[in-house]
Amino acid sequence: MKTLTYGEAIREALFEEMASDDRVLVFGEDVAGYGGLDGVTHGLQQRFGCKRVFDTPISESGFAGLAVGAALMGMRPVAEMQFSGLLTVPLDQIVNSAAKARYVHDGAMSCPMVIRSVTYPAGNAYMGQSLEAWLAHVPGLKVVTPSTPIDAKGLLLTSIRDPDPVVFFEHKSLYSTEGLVPEEAYSIPLGEASIAREGADATIVVWLNMVPAALEAADDLSLEGIDLEVIDLRSLIPLDEQTITQSVLKTGRLVVAHEAVTRAGFGAEVTAVVANSDVVHHLKAPVQRVGNRGVPVPHSDRLNTHIIPSKDDLITAVRTVLSN
Amino acid sequence: MPRDLREMYRLMLMSRIYTDRALKLFDDGRLPTGLHPSAGQEAIGVGACYGLRRDDWVIPSLRTTECFWTRGVTMQQMMDAMYGNKDSVNRGKESFHHSGYPELGILAGTAIVAAHIPVAVGAAKAMQLKGTDNVMLCFFGDGAAARGDFHEGLNLAAVHKAPVIFICENNLHFQTAPASVEMAITDIADRAAGYGFPGVIVDGQDVLAVHETTQEAIKRARQGKGPTLIEAKTYRFRRHYPILAETRPAKEIAEWSKRDPISILANHLLANGHLNESEIEEFQTSINNELDTVVARAESKQPADRSVASSTVYGEGVA
Repeated sequence: MKTLTYGEAIREALFEEMASDDRVLVFGEDVAGYGGLDGVTHGLQQRFGCKRVFDTPISESGFAGLAVGAALMGMRPVAEMQFSGLLTVPLDQIVNSAAKARYVHDGAMSCPMVIRSVTYPAGNAYMGQSLEAWLAHVPGLKVVTPSTPIDAKGLLLTSIRDPDPVVFFEHKSLYSTEGLVPEEAYSIPLGEASIAREGADATIVVWLNMVPAALEAADDLSLEGIDLEVIDLRSLIPLDEQTITQSVLKTGRLVVAHEAVTRAGFGAEVTAVVANSDVVHHLKAPVQRVGNRGVPVPHSDRLNTHIIPSKDDLITAVRTVLSN
Repeated sequence: MPRDLREMYRLMLMSRIYTDRALKLFDDGRLPTGLHPSAGQEAIGVGACYGLRRDDWVIPSLRTTECFWTRGVTMQQMMDAMYGNKDSVNRGKESFHHSGYPELGILAGTAIVAAHIPVAVGAAKAMQLKGTDNVMLCFFGDGAAARGDFHEGLNLAAVHKAPVIFICENNLHFQTAPASVEMAITDIADRAAGYGFPGVIVDGQDVLAVHETTQEAIKRARQGKGPTLIEAKTYRFRRHYPILAETRPAKEIAEWSKRDPISILANHLLANGHLNESEIEEFQTSINNELDTVVARAESKQPADRSVASSTVYGEGVA
């Protein structure tokens, strides 16, 4: 094992996949010459050349469409949307051109492409949006949401090799976090949640940077003798329903937390998974959903921290499900 | 060349006869779906696609039925797709408007006007990266030229010198409104200059002119010189869609109907002795007879099988 940051792990996945498969292309704004705003694609163009790694104009719809066309013709494009709020612009290409390609060709064509989307709910009302639920709603798409270096690398490798379009969310606040990553080749299947921390008293389902927040909350709660189980979904689509229901069967209490707006957020889907299964009879308390309170992401940090869920919000929600 | 022109004539005639038969079937309540008739514009798809290599690709607009015929889709395949039959191209999953025939080099377009333009650029980019000299033909109407995807796609194609030929079928109206509401210029071809590649205007009623202009653009693309925008000036001879009212001036329709691309080619062939009146009649009879059989078969076939509805949403395993 070696220690890598989340950002380095993603970069390593891109390097390895580009080296082993010459169909893989990387493009987006600032990804080639500059190496990505966060350095994730640093060195790729020098190593693999201008044909396979290139900067695009500010044409998110255009280069997402370019990715679709290239994928249909057998390439494996990885296009970067440098802020997840930008997903509103290429949404048509992702939702229509990419997601439907296999279906309308009745399986005779496929669209193996990855949209890397950097999520970070800060700075402004536009770029700061967490839109993973929008994509999760669309048949034909997969949605991947890693929280650790080992998962980020393993899941990106799998996403690039996946035969269908994948929207791969990376959380900007995680880029510098470190973790152990195997020296040898490995990959992680999509649709398998991980139990980031085992616990018996309550379940919290999280992804992206809500995972470290939930783990910190669990540490704090453990001082009071509360044993929180933390489920890191790792991918929203495919969704590992079994890990969710098995955990809730054990604990009888469920909190779902995300940075996206609570209303119609993916937490509603997680809640519905439990509500639609027999496990619902084992719930000892109403489910708590934690998320953005339903406002645009404010610029000021003072306002922002008031809107975006924090460790304390998670602790409050866990206390609520335990108080019933 | 006379043989090629006769074949182009047959394809255009087949397209016209097929389209009018389909419109009648729709009016009679037999065909479950309407169509965006290409009548009047046949020279463009036929002239442009004729002579393409097997491994070149096209993406049609929703009106470019001629792409399908010229690439080898049969009337039976098209009619089955219109009826959404069990054994149709995508087993009833998608409208014939947005159907692809990969084995014939036809990619399915989308219902989002102009969205296929950047997709065509990406496909062309892939051909370039693979080191082939294949080309991509991308068809769209004048309405598409008002969308952002048109501009982003053409700009990207220019930057990458992608082997794509953009063919704009400018029929002077988008849906129910005249071109004057969608642009303040007369010639869409002018826009190519803004991206740095040639924009060419061609008489869309003259199949030979369309063919030669496209061949020139294809040659350029195969040589790695990048894209061309071809604007074919044309006119549709039917309404935008059968259930919509006619909104165009009667005088304009009458003027343009004098420039029927099929008659123009027929007159050329007749004048040069490459075709005679009785052969024209034979073509018509043969197409009509085949169409009778095609319709009868399509109407007697099994409808789409419900069990396929939820298949091929995702692929399986690692590709």
